[in-house]
Amino acid sequence: MKRLIALGSAILLFAIVAAWWTNSRQPKPIVLIPTLTGKPEYCLTCHSGLREISPSHPIKTFGCVICHGGEALALDKNLAHSTLRGGANPSDLSVVQENCGGSNCHSGTAADNNDHIQRVMKSVQSTYAGAIANILYTFGVEPDLTARFGIHAVTDDVITTTTGVPALQVFDPTKQTNPSVLKFAANCLNCHINAQPLPGSQFDRLTGCAACHTPLPNLGEGQGVRGQIHELTTAIPYTQCNTCHNRGNYDLRTMSFIQRTDQPTTRLQDYYQPIAQFTKCEYTLDCIDCHTRAEAMGDGDIHSSMKDIQYIQCQTCHGTPTQLPQTKTLTNPNDIAFRLAQLNPVVDLKLGDTILVTSKGEPLWNTRVLPDGTYQLVGKATGQVFTFRPVIGSGCTQNGLDQSSAYCHTCHSVQR
Amino acid sequence: MRPSFFHHLHPPTIPAKQSRWRYTLGAGGMAVFLLLVLGATGILELFYYIPTPDQAARSIQTISYLVPFGGLVRNIHFWAAQLLLIVSAVHLVRVVFTGSYAPPRRFNYLLGLALFIFAILLDFTGYVLRWDQGIQWALVVGTNLIKTIPLIGNLLYIVLTGGTQPGLPTLIRFYAWHIFGLTLGAVILGVWHIFRVRRDGGIAVPPPPLRVDKERITRKELARREVLAMLMTGAALILFAAFIPAPIAQPISDINVMAGDAKAPWFFLWVQQMLKWGDPFTWGVFVPLIVLAVLALIPYIFPKPADSELGKWFPRSNRSAQIILAVIALLIIVLTIFGSLPAS
Repeated sequence: MKRLIALGSAILLFAIVAAWWTNSRQPKPIVLIPTLTGKPEYCLTCHSGLREISPSHPIKTFGCVICHGGEALALDKNLAHSTLRGGANPSDLSVVQENCGGSNCHSGTAADNNDHIQRVMKSVQSTYAGAIANILYTFGVEPDLTARFGIHAVTDDVITTTTGVPALQVFDPTKQTNPSVLKFAANCLNCHINAQPLPGSQFDRLTGCAACHTPLPNLGEGQGVRGQIHELTTAIPYTQCNTCHNRGNYDLRTMSFIQRTDQPTTRLQDYYQPIAQFTKCEYTLDCIDCHTRAEAMGDGDIHSSMKDIQYIQCQTCHGTPTQLPQTKTLTNPNDIAFRLAQLNPVVDLKLGDTILVTSKGEPLWNTRVLPDGTYQLVGKATGQVFTFRPVIGSGCTQNGLDQSSAYCHTCHSVQR
Repeated sequence: MRPSFFHHLHPPTIPAKQSRWRYTLGAGGMAVFLLLVLGATGILELFYYIPTPDQAARSIQTISYLVPFGGLVRNIHFWAAQLLLIVSAVHLVRVVFTGSYAPPRRFNYLLGLALFIFAILLDFTGYVLRWDQGIQWALVVGTNLIKTIPLIGNLLYIVLTGGTQPGLPTLIRFYAWHIFGLTLGAVILGVWHIFRVRRDGGIAVPPPPLRVDKERITRKELARREVLAMLMTGAALILFAAFIPAPIAQPISDINVMAGDAKAPWFFLWVQQMLKWGDPFTWGVFVPLIVLAVLALIPYIFPKPADSELGKWFPRSNRSAQIILAVIALLIIVLTIFGSLPAS
């Protein structure tokens, strides 16, 4: 019996050592107490290698949970991730209000320029209202091109433009009978930021805010990097815009998307589709160097077409043969231009600088009027410095009222 | 060596034949050991557990992942609780299959049965204290079952949950029952049960004139066997705890929105399976109570085992009790297996 007890003791000792061993193999918890919540989070135990998402969201201030959800105290992967809001992408529009919203964050007011979420929810980028309205009108379902349906239902109580519509209902394909509309619903509802992208690395993007603000490196098929990208930026390169734009055309006869078939290797070839006409600045600059936040994210109104919101023209920067472009001297330290420049510090904007502004007064904060009357633009994504002149003083004879790109492209277009 | 206090808890000598493993299965002693382990680990958990709906599941995450060896302590508490139900059931089966419940041990049989019920209730209340999505279904369905009891169901529900739906009062009540009410009851019943084992003449054996094997072992030998059993049970608990963690799930976000698995804890799977057959009161309350009543009545309605047959397995004289218990046990096992299968 004593031998048995000795053996039993040895077995118990073995069990204790085994328990000690498994316990020592557990990850050593790494705690973070973000100042905004004051509550401990242990996400960094596993995610210590992740880069800080952006200078505007310092991890010591925000931590992880305030944006992502999740179980802050759990060190088991499945449990820790069980309450994530939006999985790996908290900016998906289905959860964006909870994750990125709040009056101090991205669902503030238009007055303080923090109404990003409200604007994006009404924008054609998320409603796809323009394409839906076009198709419904083309196939005789609706009497005109006014948008009535969107990917999600949305209402607008304060309409500030002439093209704004008060509300959209959900576009419900089951209520449609026209075969072409049904085909459209089946084949073409991919080009909005609620939708998962089409297969293929050229389409690879996330949804929601991250569709634009989290550029994915184009590493080709099956590289499995999406979950590892932890970045939000306002320096969005044209390649990110091109995960949706310039990728091909919709064929109205077959109601299907025909992908571009060229395999571009240079920026000149890659930027636009082969059929497109464009000038030098249109492919050397990035899209966001000209197109403003209101154009990209919406101006707070629900519009029936992309055209209603796209208003940047060649004259915005270059003026016309009779008029200089509009400018503004920065005298207010709270000017939105400073905030935008701080978010993407490619320029050192100072009080007293004179910058170009759009016809709606939006600051083109990456431009500057130089003392000699020429202009400078710094690429938001590249940091490249460009200088350019106004039309006045050139040999241009274009009528100042005919400023759509087609007119300018008559003379100014690039051959590739 | 002078006998210690631990030795004094035992009779000076006991019959050798009836103190063999293959006779007692060591189940009663193991149950006592497991209760002690549960008490010790439970006290440690008390320092970190927070009994509020919004904090409970997170405090268990704290115990499981952040407190040094907290996960091990919680896992031991969990596995000891599961093992307690199994050894209690084995003990019950052994007592019936050896006819040991015969007078004068009838009352102690009832005490033991009551202890078993307390162990099940302790297990269920402890399970609910997790207050995560893993227990949500069982909590809601289990407490709703109370409402189906005629006349007093709604009152009982309010007494149990402290409201019209599970919430903070429910958690506090389950907590109070778990760490105080049921534990105190189990300690009293347990001490009484052990006292009655001695008072009723120790382990059941034939009266001296009929006893064939008169060999006895000393309490030191008995104590050694108990120590061996404790060492092995302790090692098993620690190994289980080290390699198979106790269940944990995400916190309940809304008690009215069912999430997680629609599964009862394993010891109630047989009841869950019967609930599929129809009326919740009949299958969820009435039939389990009938089963309990039959178990309680075994010493009173079945023929008393012959004195000469005491102290050995399967005495001929109480076959009917053995068959009834075997049928009940088999049905519960089969229903539990069916209940554990994934819903089709």
